[in-house]
Amino acid sequence: MDSTRAPVAFGRWDVPLLFGRLQQPEAAERLRSLASLCDLMRDPERLYRTVTGGFLEQLQDLLKDEDPSVRSKTCELLHLVTAHSIGRQAVLSSSLLPSLSQLLDDSSSSSRINALRALNCLALLPAGADALLCLVPKLMLKLQQQDGEDEDDGDDGDEEEVLLLSTISCCSRLDALPALASDGVSLLGRKLTRRSPEVRREAAASLMELSIPVEGKRQVCEGAVLPVLVGLLQDEDVDVRTNAAGVVMNVAIITAGKLRCLDLDVVPVLLDLLSKRLEEDERSKALVLYSLRALTALAEAPDGRRLLLQQLPLLARTTEARHPDIRRAAQTAVRVVTWTP
Amino acid sequence: MASSSHGHKHSNGLYTFSSRPRPVDSSSKCREPSSERTQYNYGNIMYDRRVVRGNTHAQHILPTTAQPDPAETQKQMIKKRAAARKQAWKQWRLRTPEALQGRKHIDVQTELYLEELSDHIVSTHAECQTDAFLDKPSTPLFIPAKSGKDVGTQIEEGELFDFDREVQPVLEVLVGRTVEQALLEVMEEEELACLKAQQRAFEELRHNELAEVERLQEQERRHSEEKERRVAQQKEVLKKERETAEKIAARAYTQQYLADLIPAVFTSLRNHGYFYDPVEKDIEMNFFPWLMAEVNNTLEKRYIAREMLDAIICDVTEKRLEEFKELDTQSARDWQV
Repeated sequence: MDSTRAPVAFGRWDVPLLFGRLQQPEAAERLRSLASLCDLMRDPERLYRTVTGGFLEQLQDLLKDEDPSVRSKTCELLHLVTAHSIGRQAVLSSSLLPSLSQLLDDSSSSSRINALRALNCLALLPAGADALLCLVPKLMLKLQQQDGEDEDDGDDGDEEEVLLLSTISCCSRLDALPALASDGVSLLGRKLTRRSPEVRREAAASLMELSIPVEGKRQVCEGAVLPVLVGLLQDEDVDVRTNAAGVVMNVAIITAGKLRCLDLDVVPVLLDLLSKRLEEDERSKALVLYSLRALTALAEAPDGRRLLLQQLPLLARTTEARHPDIRRAAQTAVRVVTWTP
Repeated sequence: MASSSHGHKHSNGLYTFSSRPRPVDSSSKCREPSSERTQYNYGNIMYDRRVVRGNTHAQHILPTTAQPDPAETQKQMIKKRAAARKQAWKQWRLRTPEALQGRKHIDVQTELYLEELSDHIVSTHAECQTDAFLDKPSTPLFIPAKSGKDVGTQIEEGELFDFDREVQPVLEVLVGRTVEQALLEVMEEEELACLKAQQRAFEELRHNELAEVERLQEQERRHSEEKERRVAQQKEVLKKERETAEKIAARAYTQQYLADLIPAVFTSLRNHGYFYDPVEKDIEMNFFPWLMAEVNNTLEKRYIAREMLDAIICDVTEKRLEEFKELDTQSARDWQV
């Protein structure tokens, strides 16, 4: 028998029995029961029974347990629960969210990471993102704390950052104002220069969400973020490039953005991206689209139009691409470039 | 009693009794007259002395009509009285004549079967008791008589079944189930990945379209702003033109107005005497006042002289008057004297 797992009863009695064991005073016993529960929760049927049986409320006490390994295991269990929509709804409707968010300040990193994972899964749901909107300032604060830590923190710190950033980007998809209000742009700008590509990708994705409202666009223009982004357009990772192109696309919509982008000489870079990626790679389709849109936006400024008129053949070639979206975007671009007042 | 209820109908006519059931009357001494016996005095049948209770074997045979008397203390008296009455009655009762000599009257039973009458009932006690249960002795072992021959056998290793062959289906099932579960999980993961990819595609499309929409919005806004500006500019231009036209008109008018301003000015100035001959002015300014002053002086001198003269004359005349007055008075005094 596996000594790290408690014995599991047969049939319908397995989950209630294990939950009953969770009340025991010994921490090791609780840990074993939690480990067994984690294994069991991967089965959707059991998950459904757990959720409808209302056992999740007992986890509330465990989240405040003294033993850190118990806490982290409970968070892992919650992460598994949030993998299914029923579990997500149950967690949202129960009062587990405040306790989870308190765990973000926990001393042990594994419980922090697991809590972040659970919150991340929750944030993928619009209702969950709605509930987590009030947590966004706290998450930004945590990001700032991460910033102050040592650069070579290792994988753990990176993973925390990645999770934090992805949660923030999911919440900002719904409503970007709280993140903007807590000075999100400058904070994320700093994250753009981190070593690990995941962090950069998530930071760029969050910036893309943040730059959708007009306020965000203005902030991105005013901050020193744009040069970094233009630099990121030539990053190795495709996703980072895609997200950076997305931010540029959003920013170039306002006039100030256009001028700044043209100042930074972004047009050749984008054209370069276009010409390299005309093949039918799924991942790069987004890149092509974003670059096309960015170019379209830039073409509305007279300087941009002049530059792009010279590159008209390249754009014309893009209109023969196979994907209908790309074709449409290229046609719009051509139309804008050749427009006269 | 039965006749009185004969033909009595039940109140609602459902059933008719030939003899209506009634409870037994309690034969008490304080009996109401028969006219008031509509309300029956029900007596409790359990306490009715007429009902025979208990062991009937020890009863008095043919009990005489004893008066029922509830009072215990009067029982003996009543008994005595009863005995006395009985005695008295015995004397007056018609009796059978005495038996002849040598004969005796005895009571005889005349029924078919003779019965021994006695007070003392012969009774015997009889008891019966079952024996205590004895343990059933154990059944002896049934050993059937031996029949047939004795034969022995032994199963060697590998003769009954081949483990490898037998275990195959079990293994297949186990492995199959495991693999099936794994496949399910992998399919689930694939499905999740598919969903994620779909979500990503949707997100990209959404961003795209959002950017496009915003760009178009911006364009619209800019165009409209541009239009506004152009219109404003045009308005400015128009206003300026109008102002210029007004200015030109004003200028022409003032020019015309001011054309004959100068002669008019000069004329009016001349009329007001601003252009003068200096010599004439000088004569007027300086010479004439001096002349007038001199004339005034001379005239004044003359006036002063005349005044002085007047004064002198006045003085003289006054003095003369006074002298004349003195003379007058003197002469008057003189005359009086």
